[in-house]
This record gives sequence, C-alpha cells and structure tokens, in this order.
Amino acid sequence: MTDTLTAPPEVPEQEPLGSIEEPLWRVRLRLTKRSLVQNWKLFVANRIGLVGLVMIVIFALMAIAHPILMATVWPSQIYHPINGYDAPVSEKLVVEEVTDPVTEVDLTTARIQYGPFTEIGETVSISQQPAPPSFGGPNPHYLGTDPLGRDVLSQLLYSTRSAFFLGLIAAMVTVVFATVVGSVAAFFGGWVDSVLMRLADLILLVPLLPVLIVVSALFRISLPLLGLLIGILSGFGGTAIILKSQALQVTVKPFLDAARIAGGGNGHLILRHVIPNVLPLSFLYMMFTVTDAIALEATLSFLGLLSIPMSWGIMISIARTQGYLLGSLEYWWLLVPAGLAVSLLAAAFFLVGRAMDEVVNPRLRQR
Amino acid sequence: MATPNGRKLLEVDHLVMHYKTKKGDVSAIEDVSFSLAQGESLGLVGESGCGKTSVAMSLMRLAADNARYLNGEIRLDGEDLLALSEEAMRKRRWKSIAMVFQGAMNSWNPVYTVGDQIEEAIDLHIEPRPTEKQIRERMSRLFEMVGLNPAMLDRYPHEFSGGMRQRAVIAMALSCDPRLIIADEPTTALDVIVQDQILKELKKIQEKLGMTLIYISHDIAVIAEVTDTIGVMYAGKLVEYGSTLEVFHRPKHPYSYLLLSSTPSITGPRRKLAPLEGEPANLLDPPSGCRFHPRCPFATEICVTDEPPLEDKVPGHKAACWHSDRVPVTIGVAV
Amino acid sequence: MLKYVAKRLIQGLLLLMLFLALLYILLDAQPGDISLQLSANPRLPPEAQEIVRERLGLDQPLLGRTVTYVLNFFQGDLGLSFTQYPRTVGSVILEKLPRTILLFLSATILAYYMGFALGKVMAWRRGKTVETGLTLGGVAAYTVFYPWFAILMLWFWGFQFGLFPLGKFIDVDEWTGAPMAANRVFMRMLISLGILGLVLGAVSLLAHRLPPERGEQVARYGPPLVLVAFLAFWWLSPLRSYVADIAHHTLLPVLTLASVQFAGVMLLTRASMLETLKEDYILTARAKGLPQRDIRNRHAARNALLPVVTSLVLALSFVIGGGILTEGIFSWPGIGGQLLDATLTEDIPLATGTLGVIGIIALVGHLISDVLYMYLDPRIRTS
Ligand SMILES: Nc1ncnc2c1ncn2[C@@H]1O[C@H](COP(=O)(O)OP(=O)(O)O)[C@@H](O)[C@H]1O
Ligand SMILES: [Mg+2]
Repeated sequence: MTDTLTAPPEVPEQEPLGSIEEPLWRVRLRLTKRSLVQNWKLFVANRIGLVGLVMIVIFALMAIAHPILMATVWPSQIYHPINGYDAPVSEKLVVEEVTDPVTEVDLTTARIQYGPFTEIGETVSISQQPAPPSFGGPNPHYLGTDPLGRDVLSQLLYSTRSAFFLGLIAAMVTVVFATVVGSVAAFFGGWVDSVLMRLADLILLVPLLPVLIVVSALFRISLPLLGLLIGILSGFGGTAIILKSQALQVTVKPFLDAARIAGGGNGHLILRHVIPNVLPLSFLYMMFTVTDAIALEATLSFLGLLSIPMSWGIMISIARTQGYLLGSLEYWWLLVPAGLAVSLLAAAFFLVGRAMDEVVNPRLRQR
Repeated sequence: MATPNGRKLLEVDHLVMHYKTKKGDVSAIEDVSFSLAQGESLGLVGESGCGKTSVAMSLMRLAADNARYLNGEIRLDGEDLLALSEEAMRKRRWKSIAMVFQGAMNSWNPVYTVGDQIEEAIDLHIEPRPTEKQIRERMSRLFEMVGLNPAMLDRYPHEFSGGMRQRAVIAMALSCDPRLIIADEPTTALDVIVQDQILKELKKIQEKLGMTLIYISHDIAVIAEVTDTIGVMYAGKLVEYGSTLEVFHRPKHPYSYLLLSSTPSITGPRRKLAPLEGEPANLLDPPSGCRFHPRCPFATEICVTDEPPLEDKVPGHKAACWHSDRVPVTIGVAV
Repeated sequence: MLKYVAKRLIQGLLLLMLFLALLYILLDAQPGDISLQLSANPRLPPEAQEIVRERLGLDQPLLGRTVTYVLNFFQGDLGLSFTQYPRTVGSVILEKLPRTILLFLSATILAYYMGFALGKVMAWRRGKTVETGLTLGGVAAYTVFYPWFAILMLWFWGFQFGLFPLGKFIDVDEWTGAPMAANRVFMRMLISLGILGLVLGAVSLLAHRLPPERGEQVARYGPPLVLVAFLAFWWLSPLRSYVADIAHHTLLPVLTLASVQFAGVMLLTRASMLETLKEDYILTARAKGLPQRDIRNRHAARNALLPVVTSLVLALSFVIGGGILTEGIFSWPGIGGQLLDATLTEDIPLATGTLGVIGIIALVGHLISDVLYMYLDPRIRTS
C-alpha cells in the first residue's frame, strides 16, 4: 500500500455482483463471462498454448477450404481426393540408373509402361503416377499426385475434415462418458463406485492400440465408430477417474445437502450440481482425447485396418503398400505432408490441453 | 558495535540487502546492525513481511537468488561471511550456524529416516569422523535432550507428529555443536500447547548448553519467554534494540508499544487491546523519513521528512524514533 | 509390505480374468456364429475343428463359454492357430515373447534412465529460452506420428547411413553353419543380460552398504568394470559374430522406441524436479552444508523420482502401442508383429490369444511399477 498520509489507497472498482431485480440467469451469465475473460488472459499468457490454438485454426481453415476449392477451381474428375485421376505425361530419358526421377526413368519401368522393346538412351513419354509437385499447366498439383494419380493436396485438405470430424466425435463421447461415470461414481459411492472404478482401472490398464487392432479384425470400423470407441475407452478410463475425484469435492460440499433437504431428486442433484462442476475439467481432458484419436486413426489406417475412404493415415498406408516408402525420400510428397499433418494437429490439441491444464491447475502456473 | 569486553561472536554491521524483482528493488534489510556475544540470546520480532527471515537467511547466506548485498558485513568470530567463497561458507553451515526453519514441519525429507538425516550432517561436519557407534550415541543423547525416544531415530518423518518433528529438528540443529543457532518461527505451525512445551524445552536447552540463539517470531510474547535481548524490526529496519525487560516495560518506539499492547497477555490482567492499524509498509516503495510514520499515532512533520537514527535512549537501549519520550510505559504486560 | 504386494497381485489376477472374459464376450459378439468363427476355418482339418469345439465348450450358454475360455487361458491353452496349424497359439506366442520382452524392457529402461538423468540436470540449470525450446521438442517427440517417425529413423540410419540393417532379427546369410539356432543364442544373451542386471544391482547395493568413501569408489568404478567384463565374455565367446548380429539388429528398434518415451520422461522429471526444489527439505539440505551434488541427487532427485515411477503405469499403454508398431515396421519377430499379422490374416485365435498375453504384460508392468513405488516411498511402505 502507498503512503496513507498523503493519499488514500486506490481500490479498484469492482463490478457489482448484481442487484435484487436482476434475473438470476443474467448474473450467472456475467459471472461466467468474467471468469472466461480471466481464464482467457491466463491462457494467452502462456505462449505455447497460443501456438497450439493458431495451429488448430490453420487446420480448420484448411478443412473449410476443401469444399470451396472443389466447388470453384478444382474439377472433380481430376481433383476428387478419392475418385480423381490425373497422370501428367512427360518425356523421359531411359537410363540404367536413375539419378533424377523427374527427367529420367529406369529400363524396367519404361518397358512396363511404354513398351517391351524400349532401350536405354531412348526418350519415352511416360504417364506419371505418383507425380512430383507441379505448378504450371492447366491442372497444377502443388503437392504432386499419389500412386493412383490423385491430387495429394486435395487429399490432405479433405482428410483434415475427417480428422476434425473424428476428433469431435471422440471428444464429445469422452466428455459425456467421463462426466457421467465420474459424477455417478462420486455421488452414489459404495458398490456403484467400486464397480465403475474397477472397470475404469481395467480400461486404463489395457493398452488401447492392440485392443483396437483386434477389434478391427472382428468388426468393420468406420470413422464414426472409431470415434465412438476411442471416446468410450478414454472417457471411461483415466478421465473418469480424475473427474470422479473432482466430483467428490463437490459432493461433500454443504450446499448439496441443502439441495437434498430442499427435496431435489438424485438425477436433479447430479445434473444441476455435480455435473456443472466437473464439466470444465472434462473439457480439458477432451483435448488430450482428440490428440489420441488423431494419432490412433492415423495408425490404424496406416496398418490398413479401417474401412475409411481417405485420411492422412490412408495416404501413408497407400504409399507404403505400393512400395514407395522405403528406399529414400525420393517420393517425399507421399510421406511428408500427411505425416506432418498428423503430427502437427495432434501436437496442436496437446499444446492447447497443456495450456488449459495450467489455467485450471494453479499449482502448475507458479514457477 | 564493539563492546569493551572485546570481540563478540556475531557482529552484523550496517547490512543492506535488496531483492531484485521485475517491479523494482524490495528493500528487505535496510542498514541493520546488531551484535551477539557467546551464550547470549536475541529475539527478532516484527509483523510478517518486515524482513526477519531475510536477516536469518543472510546469516546462513541462503537468501533467495535475487538477493543483493549492497552494503555491510556479517562477522562470525571476526570473519566476514559475505566475503567467503561459496565452498568455504558451505563448510561453515550447520557447523558454525545451524537453523531451525519457519515451518520446520516440512524440513524433513520424506524418504529417509530421521536418524539418517541427522547422521548426514554429523558425517559432513564432525572431524575426525566418529565411528558408527559414536554417532548413534550422540544422536540418542540429542534425542533424549529434546524429549524424544531414541528408538524413533529409525523412523521416517511421516511417523512423527508435528511437535515431535519439530523437536527432532532442534536435535538436528544441535547435532554439530554449532556456535550459533537461529530459530525462525519454529513453533508457529504448531498448536498452542505443543508450542509452549517446545518453547520451554528450547529455553532449558539454551540455558543448559549456554547456546547462542537468535529466536525469530512475530509474537512478542513468545520472544519474551526465551531471549535476553529483543530487536524489533519494521519494514526492513531495526527500530528498537535492548534488553527484554527494558523493551517490555519501557518501549522507546511506538511500533514496539503497539505490538506489545496488541498482544493478548495470557497471564496478565485483561486489558483493552490497542489495535495496530494499517498495513505493513510496501518495501518496493518504502515511506519517506521514518518508515513507520503512516501508521504512527505520534507522527509529525519531521517523521515524514527525516529518518530517525537508531541511538541510545537509555544506556544500552536503542530506538529509532523522533518521539521516544512520548511512547507510554506499558502496564500490566506480563513477561 | 508383503501383504500389500499380495493384495495387488490378487487384484491384478481379478482384473486379468475380467479382461479375458470381456475379450471373449467381444469375440462372441461379432457377426456370425462364434463356433464357426473359432473352429470352422478351411485351414484346420476336421479333426482339429472337433477338438477346438470341444475345448471351447461351444455348446454351452454364453456364461459357460466365457468361463471355459478364461479357465483354458489360465491353463495355457489358447487354441490352435489357423495360419500356422498344427502349432498351438501358446507355442507360437511363447517362441516370440522373449524378443518382445527384450524390446520393451530395454527401450523402457534406456528411456527412463536417460530421461531421468537428463531431466534432473535440466531442472538444476534451468533457463528461460531453453525451457520453451525443450518443451516444444518434448511435445513434438510425444505427439509425432510414431510409424512415420520409425520409418524416418529406419530410412535415415539404415538406408542413408547404412549403420543398421533394414529391420528383421538376424541376417540369415551370416547364420549358415551356425552351431545353434538363433533362438538359442538369443536365450543365452537374455540370460547373460539378466545376470548383468543382477550383478549391477548387487554392486549398487554394496556401494550403499559400505562406508561413504569406499562406497563412492565402488559406485564409480564398479559398473564400468562389470560392463567391461560382460562385453569381454561375449567377445571371447565362440558365438561372438552371431551375438553381434542379433545385437546389431536389436539396436535401432530399441533406440527408436526409446527415443519417443525418453522425451516424455525427461519433461516429466524436469517438472517434478522443479516442484521438489521448492520443498523445505531442500532448504534444510542446503543449510546443512551439503555439497550441491548431494542436494541434487540424494535429496531432490530421489523425491522427484516418485512421480516419474508413477508415470510408468500410464506410459505402459504408450510403450506397448509403440512396441507393436516398432515390431511391425522393423519386421521384428515378436508378439506385436504377430498381432498385426494375425489380424491381417484373420487368424482370430492367434490375435485374441496375443492380445490376452499383451494384457498380462501390461498387468505385470503395472504390478512392477506399483511395487517399485512402494519400495521407493516409505510413506506407503511403512503404513
Ligand atoms: N525472493 C524474494 N524476492 C522478492 N521479495 C522477497 C523475496 N523474499 C522475501 N521478499 C520480501 O521481502 C520482505 C521481507 O520478507 P521476510 O524476510 O520473509 O519477512 P518476515 O520473515 O519478517 O516475514 C517481504 O516484503 C517479502 O515480500
Ligand atoms: Mg519470516
């Protein structure tokens, strides 16, 4: 405090909490808004979280861009991520050992693609698939084409949308499962709690990937189903356990007793008092679920275990099954854009989750 | 502050220490001087935030990384601690100066037994290194001295109660026969009864061993039970210094007076508590003149402009106040 | 303490039964008739199909079938593999299990050892810019698309630099005229590694028991000496070139799997260490005049270790998933690669059997880290 003899200390003017006439919902709204603003400030103070958010926004823009591009500049028969086809024909020199794949072709490939009597030294026109990035011509392929002659950029953008779609489903299912299981276990305690928590232990313990691998052998797994599975498994596992301990803090608070005495039913109490208190935390863990979902989908697609038409994982999987992976990074456009996209979007949600964690968890903040 | 009977054990001389922060310098110790002879005990008192812990930590040279010593010396046996190399200082810690920390409840590492942690200090500082058996005997004796069962040496800290942990900390502080022991609010976290027991124990030990002690507390009544001399700190400055009886009955600084009269007396008659109003000074931007003037009932013009020197008001009883004579004598405060 | 371990063991067994039961119910729930799915495979001769149907008690109701399945599993009877008939699932898994365990164990130990050592030092000398960079690096390693990363590692070290073979367990050409099968050589290697671990443990125990100066000497010179002795043993052995071949094939998959785990451990250690350094007992340790190294290792790191050990439980799922992918990409013949193959060839008994065994691995890992934690934290040990 400053010198009290000369000047009274300044008291920052507080917004009044609300008057009697004001309806309750509006007070609530304003309180929510105020805490949102505060949390936002804390979140922004952490630069790493902001980096994650910016990355997510960029990916979202990519997802939105795809249908727009398809409707305006990209003719469907060429740029459609699944059914499109374009194999630019280019003149190439037949050589024994290829040093520059853009201008040269080896003898075997040339004989298969051009004609069985091709000899070394001839120049042949070869239709290229996969083709390296091209920027000119009527149909530029900025990231080249895949082994089936489809535009990689279009696939990349299209897959962004499915990644968000999957993440959204998994996240929502997680939130629902984790809050319900956590709240119910905390609220009822006793055997309900025991059963739910042992089950959560089990789910937490069993490694997700092998289970999904085996499940994919037994059932056809589509994107929404995968989202559902990941959501249930991560929501019912670790997240439910954390949320239960959060919910426990609420259930011992006196106002819950007061509400019970006032005649609230169990369902009402859980819905009205327990769930709103654990919901923010479940939104935090939702971010990590999205990270997991993106990585898992890509992994399962990579292994060829999902029935999904196109995704980042499928893009790498196609390159792999067609034999373009190993050897060198000669066909980098088949491997690098999709791999980076998976890694970056997963990282983005993870970073946002971490930053939110610091907002929610004051102990982490002060270093 | 040389005294006629030669050098003292500890001499703190015009010590100035600031903490560097983003918001500016925190003037935590501002020109503090005092001295302590072998076997003497000094109590440092003041509200929380007025720099007592900073003084204690400076004596150990363990103040936070952002602490800067701008002036002064801390001499132990004539040797300036602030001038020592870190390695030389490290060897003096616990051997020359031991400390019982504020919140000593958490002073124990949870993964080692209490005995092991005491032994660690003995291993390091006592030369020639005693045998395992001698160490064990020594630790048992220490435990008995502080009223603990030596069998507890093999127990882990979590198996001790708060009071027992604190006693064990005192045993550990005594383990290397330090020249000086600093106890920084050693009983604050304990409940009143345990607090009182430990205080009595400490006083007993201090008298028995002729230990040199600096006892820090925000509670002046506690200080009075243990020490011969009292130093009152306010906003980084030593504002009053004298024998416990003198300061207690005839305080020469309004701050000491207010501290005394706002402390409820356990044994004395009931009296009206005079409140100590306002907040402790902001050390980022301390008040001009006397740092206490914004809260002082006797403040006048000079208090705002000029800083009062710490000087003898009565022989051996110093205070830094322009209006010492107006400070009333306390009545009914029991010691 | 024993009671605690026993309790954990029983809990683990119950969890395992529950897991197997759920696994069977899942199997049973798939479209089509379960008895046909599990037995009527054209690759199985009719008499084998009959045996399978009998063993699985497929004419019982669901509960009975489930119980039979779980009991069979506990007796080691995991059914017949469709693709490798007449081998049983059990024998196929048993052959590959040691290789998987080696991969998982060595990658985990390496990652935790290095991650802890580095995280500890990082927290001790923390700096602002390094902090952001390292966090980003750690997050990148944690969220990188693992198969992609593994392929890049293989490409970079194996293809580009030719330092390592491109996958597989042995180089078949090298093994013509070998005195014994690769698996037997491998088992010997495993046993020797086990002995190495025990000896190293004994040395560190000895170092703690001896008086400080002697103990320090033992701690400093003991482990390198033991390692040299270990290497010398294999160097002088007639199996040298074969052992070297296996080791050469093992290194890259282990390093790849370890490096993603390592980043997480390092970050966690660092955070945990920074937390610990704020504790009062660190101040006490400094006041006692302990040298910096003792404060860091004996007091701070020892406590910072506890959350890191806890994280082992959560990391298990991560390690196992990563291990399966590693085996797939490096053609490492372990049960993870087995699981992938079995899934792709729809060898359902082999796939589910393998998954069951993976569940056991997870449980055992969980148990180990629980016991380790209890050993490290006296607050649990003595209560
Ligand atoms: N590391 C630090 N950096 C900045 N200011 C500090 C630091 N440590 C203490 N302070 C400030 O210094 C002043 C004195 O603190 P302290 O010595 O702990 O007082 P006391 O022990 O009397 O309560 C307080 O205002 C406190 O806020
Ligand atoms: Mg203090």
